Amino acid sequence: MTIFLQSLLSGILIGGAYALIGVGLTIIFGVMRIINFAHGDLVMLGMYASYFLFTLGNVDPFVSIVFVFPLLFLFGAILQKTVINRVLNALPQNQILLTIGIGLILSNTMMLLFTSDYRIISTSYSSGSFRLGEISVSTPLLLSFGITGLVTAILYWFLLKTDTGQAIRATAQDRDAAQLMGVNVKRMSVLATGLGAGLAAVAGALISPTYYIFPQVGQPFTLKAFVIVVLGGMGSVMGATVGGIIIGATESLAGAYISSGLKDLVVYVLFLLILLFKPAGLFGKSRV
Amino acid sequence: MTRLPLVVLAALLLAPSTAFAQVKIGVINSMTGPQAPIGENLTNGIKLAEEDLKAKGISVQLVWEDDTGKPQVGLSAMDKLATRDRVAGVVGAYTSAVTNAVAKKAEEYKVPLVNPVASKEEITRQGYKYVFRVSATTGDYASILLDMATTLGKPKTIAILSENTDFGVSGAKSAKAYAEKKGIKVVFEEAYSPGSPDYRSTLVKVKGSNPDIMFMVSYVADAITLMRQSRELQLTPMAFLGAGAGFSTAQFASEKNISNSVFSSTQWTPDVSWKGSKAFGDRYQKRFGKEPTYHAANAYTAMMIMGEVASKAAGDREKVAAGLRAGNWDGLFGPVKFEDFDGYQNQNKHQMLVEQVQDGKYATVWPPALQSGKPIWPFPGWK
Repeated sequence: MTIFLQSLLSGILIGGAYALIGVGLTIIFGVMRIINFAHGDLVMLGMYASYFLFTLGNVDPFVSIVFVFPLLFLFGAILQKTVINRVLNALPQNQILLTIGIGLILSNTMMLLFTSDYRIISTSYSSGSFRLGEISVSTPLLLSFGITGLVTAILYWFLLKTDTGQAIRATAQDRDAAQLMGVNVKRMSVLATGLGAGLAAVAGALISPTYYIFPQVGQPFTLKAFVIVVLGGMGSVMGATVGGIIIGATESLAGAYISSGLKDLVVYVLFLLILLFKPAGLFGKSRV
Repeated sequence: MTRLPLVVLAALLLAPSTAFAQVKIGVINSMTGPQAPIGENLTNGIKLAEEDLKAKGISVQLVWEDDTGKPQVGLSAMDKLATRDRVAGVVGAYTSAVTNAVAKKAEEYKVPLVNPVASKEEITRQGYKYVFRVSATTGDYASILLDMATTLGKPKTIAILSENTDFGVSGAKSAKAYAEKKGIKVVFEEAYSPGSPDYRSTLVKVKGSNPDIMFMVSYVADAITLMRQSRELQLTPMAFLGAGAGFSTAQFASEKNISNSVFSSTQWTPDVSWKGSKAFGDRYQKRFGKEPTYHAANAYTAMMIMGEVASKAAGDREKVAAGLRAGNWDGLFGPVKFEDFDGYQNQNKHQMLVEQVQDGKYATVWPPALQSGKPIWPFPGWK
């Protein structure tokens, strides 16, 4: 029972960060119908940003999100305006190539600038924990989960209650209709990419005290985010949130009960099963 | 471009003595990709060897190939080196998975391959005639640690945790066999997939099995993640034993609160009493601004040997292979000789070392004859 609870707990806590990455990807997809294959590399940029804030400016990684988010928001917005915007009406394969290319450029530029060395952020709480009965709870994971919850709550409020948020959702639901209703869809695309990039970076900053940072660290996160988004339903923010937690918990439980070498297998089998029964994903509406 | 080979050819013909002719040597290494941080040590070691060869009057032309950590890329690099660049021999690769693939190709092309660090046992157990290994094997990684453990204490149970790569699985297999031989019961065994941010579920199971010693085979960064999460879960065996790689990097050592007292088997340390080790360590530090890992010394040694032999053989592949088989060397890596024994072919019998993190620095603690510090046993607990 201890093993079950321990694995479930750490799985859910780590799933929080996955969810944040997935939400960023799903917003970008929702508004522009582009799958951002550079998403993991944006996570990587967030990690580096929080690393340098920590080592050079002594800013705690969890506090650094206040700086990291606007920084990467800006970066994402510029990326959209200068590059991604040009392929909005292009063939899907061209869009895929473009975002893969952006990802490669990002990771290789970082390698040129900062070498391929692994960088580690060691905070006083990096390997800290406290006990809850038989279970030990990781302090950094719990903190990051709390912050993830807060960020997600703010995001929901923004998307549901503000005019801009509603305009983003309108664009995601039907780009042409939104445009006819007077929504500036071009601006929404820029905002959505900025938002997606910012969220990816926040996730990166939150993971950084317990993980390690190197230029290629992003690629596995791209794949994971993609799975989360498809699982939850393409474009669904709620779906990505739930999907992230499901993937985190499944990985962890599979690691405990089957084998940690096979946990990816279990995740993908579950993924396929869900798609078999709900082809549009958990919260997706099939669009034809 | 087409004229260049002609110029080289002319230069070769005009060269007065074949002993000083420039020979082409291929290098296959993980220069980019996830294995690049350790690959860099090999690159730097080879660069230092190139300088030292030049100082000896041996001029080698190195053809660098990046395998990006992938066997299939390594294979095409080998094709290119053997057929297009027509190298006299190849030094490489880094990981066991790539080297194992490349070794097969080298044997087909009859290109002598000196393998600096890849330690999967099978690489030199397949009857190959052109594959030479400077490196010790995964079996040696496990046996030196368990020899030390059984001398210092009386461990009865062991947990073996390894990554599911060629290096990890091979290391775990040898550790299991050797532990059973020594009468230590294997109470936990698992191969994990590397790069995950969360190993807690696996470590909880390790904790449940309550092992006396814990043996881990991991590349760079996972070592830090595993130790951090072991601390989180308050895992306290008699000793944490790491099989080189991720457990023997300066970065791992500098993470004091998780790395102190962790043992790691290694092939070389700057403070071991082999001739020139310290000078090499200092020179590397000065030149590249960081401490070398054993990979640098292995790669340096492999390139020095290949350079000398290839130049003496004037680039003839058969003669290079014969020279490698016949020679023996001694330097900062201890004595090197390629021999056939215990099912191995052209394998160097290398004396392994055990180092321990003591106050954020590595001390060579085993074997007693080569030690620079006393081992701390058992694990004193988390601070």
